[in-house]
Amino acid sequence: MKSQSKTWNDPILVAAVAPLAIVMLVFFLIPLAMTILLTFQTTQYYRLQWTWDLKIWTEIFSKPHYWTIMLRTVGMALVCVVISILIAFPTAYALTTRLKTYSAQIQILIIFAFLTDAVLKTFGWILVLDRQGVANWLLSYLGLGPEAMDILFTPTGTMIGMVYNLAVYPMFTIYLSLARIDRDLVLASYDAGASRIRTFFEVTLPLSRPGLYSGAVLVFVLSLGAFLEPKVLGGGTSPLASELIRQSFETRVNWPLGAALTIVLIAIGALTLALAAAFVFRRTPAARRELA
Amino acid sequence: MATPIIDASHIIKDYGRVRALHGVSLEVGAGEFVALVGPSGCGKTTLLKILAGFEETSEGRLEIEGKDMRGVPAASRPTRMVFQKLALFPHKTVAQNIGFPLKLQRVGKAEIDRRVVSMLELMHLNLDYLDRFPAQLSGGEQQRVALARALISQPGVLLLDEPMSALDAKLKKSLQTELKKLHRELGTSFVLVTHDLEEAMMLADRICVMRAGRVVQIGTPTDIYYRPANMFVAGFIGETNFLPVDVSGALDGGLAVGSPLVAGEPAVMEAGNVSEFLGEGNKALLIRPESIGFLKGEPGPGHWMLTGVVDEYFLKGSTTQYRIRVAGLEAPVVMDLPGSFELPAEVGQEVRIGFEPARAFLLSE
Repeated sequence: MKSQSKTWNDPILVAAVAPLAIVMLVFFLIPLAMTILLTFQTTQYYRLQWTWDLKIWTEIFSKPHYWTIMLRTVGMALVCVVISILIAFPTAYALTTRLKTYSAQIQILIIFAFLTDAVLKTFGWILVLDRQGVANWLLSYLGLGPEAMDILFTPTGTMIGMVYNLAVYPMFTIYLSLARIDRDLVLASYDAGASRIRTFFEVTLPLSRPGLYSGAVLVFVLSLGAFLEPKVLGGGTSPLASELIRQSFETRVNWPLGAALTIVLIAIGALTLALAAAFVFRRTPAARRELA
Repeated sequence: MATPIIDASHIIKDYGRVRALHGVSLEVGAGEFVALVGPSGCGKTTLLKILAGFEETSEGRLEIEGKDMRGVPAASRPTRMVFQKLALFPHKTVAQNIGFPLKLQRVGKAEIDRRVVSMLELMHLNLDYLDRFPAQLSGGEQQRVALARALISQPGVLLLDEPMSALDAKLKKSLQTELKKLHRELGTSFVLVTHDLEEAMMLADRICVMRAGRVVQIGTPTDIYYRPANMFVAGFIGETNFLPVDVSGALDGGLAVGSPLVAGEPAVMEAGNVSEFLGEGNKALLIRPESIGFLKGEPGPGHWMLTGVVDEYFLKGSTTQYRIRVAGLEAPVVMDLPGSFELPAEVGQEVRIGFEPARAFLLSE
């Protein structure tokens, strides 16, 4: 706490932080301010008019259509977070325990898949999810699905693509958290009389929280901006916020509207994260204390 | 020993092709304090892990409280461990850490609170610490919390894996004192792993010296210090002088021992196994530094005398250590004298030093 009060008087520290602060200011805060400024302008004949008008905001608050898409986006993002964590946690846990010997090799394979271009991978899913695709062929081959499932061009298809592209992030953040847990803590729990399952819930899971939370935030923020998956796998039938914003800027050439929708999306995202953070910190006094 | 609380016989532990323990046997009596001592890699920690149930034995039989421990997981054993790095749960408060074993036994909340508080009092910990996290405590305080967590469920055996190795000397001393008192008050069996034979001697009722996966000697601290089984044990604690000697023959059930380096009559020394010392091979007398002193005048009857030159001296406060170079001996002779106002000899001075062979111990290699 003492060191914090001194921070501003330490020229070296200020100099060390300055480059990042300037980058953040120029490339983040200023564009954000410009976006907010843009929402108070109007367009006429596809041209920006410099005014000071609340027209766009009245439009946004009067049309439920925008809000449906916004809420759908947040809903999809939340579902994506849950599914990604449910897939990522067991994977990361296996990599630190049962598969520890091969964890480096498996991680390299995952990174390879991760680094492959997202457009390519997403189009690849069409081959799997198509009516005559691999998934339906496999299901009927196994005798599980007499009727072909329609997944492609539905929100389910979008979700599969989003989870596939994003589950890697929590997998690595959780892996790093799990790998940092001192093996002695697990042994200490066994020694105190805890079963394996009890030890998982008393020791392993609480100590993997940092990775769990940061992974969840990453997935959430990235799914809010999901663009490719709803377009390619969702078929544009139920567009998400990014598609709406793109249309406002490009198709309708209504920049103030696009800017306002962007601000709404950022605000909803920030609010959701703030609520989640409040919930998490209220439940864990340890985390709150560390921040204090 | 009536019925030992721990009865390990011929424990063998293999890690792949490497054999960590070559048939170790150890008994620990109820309420006894046993220290496992040895250099790193001697298998003492492996043995402790086997007792705790973190490792399975490859061969051999382990009984704790009369029950065979084969296949019994750590959670179901009557042992509790204090880890080298303590392994306090960083996300749990002091109270939650200490009460954890009771919580697992489904003890009531009020009862847990009561016993946690009494544990804190036993460990001389401030009651304000209950809601703190381990990281907010000092090293010594964390140590006590770890001890409290291990002792709260009143285990039959407490296992300690070098828990004091990370502490500074002064804190270590005070915790060692407390540990000894605690052992006396609780009557729980303690098994302490340490590489510090001095610590083992201070604390333990019996010491088990290990080397390369084998037990070299088990005995009381006095046995280990004054009657070591071999030169390894003798050299393991503090500083020791070895004086090469000749054994000229058996005499009245003892051995006639002499040395060309000393002035004095050959001494008759007892030896457990006389024949061991009559064959070829080097024999040496073990003389502890405090058993030698400067000689003023001629050596008395039954004393042996050496002459040498003072190489160096160290003032240690309560004692003064002299190192005397003696012709014919590789290492200087180390002597610990009681501290005094005046130095008995200066560096370079020629001196005569003497000792009683009766206070030395005959060893063969």
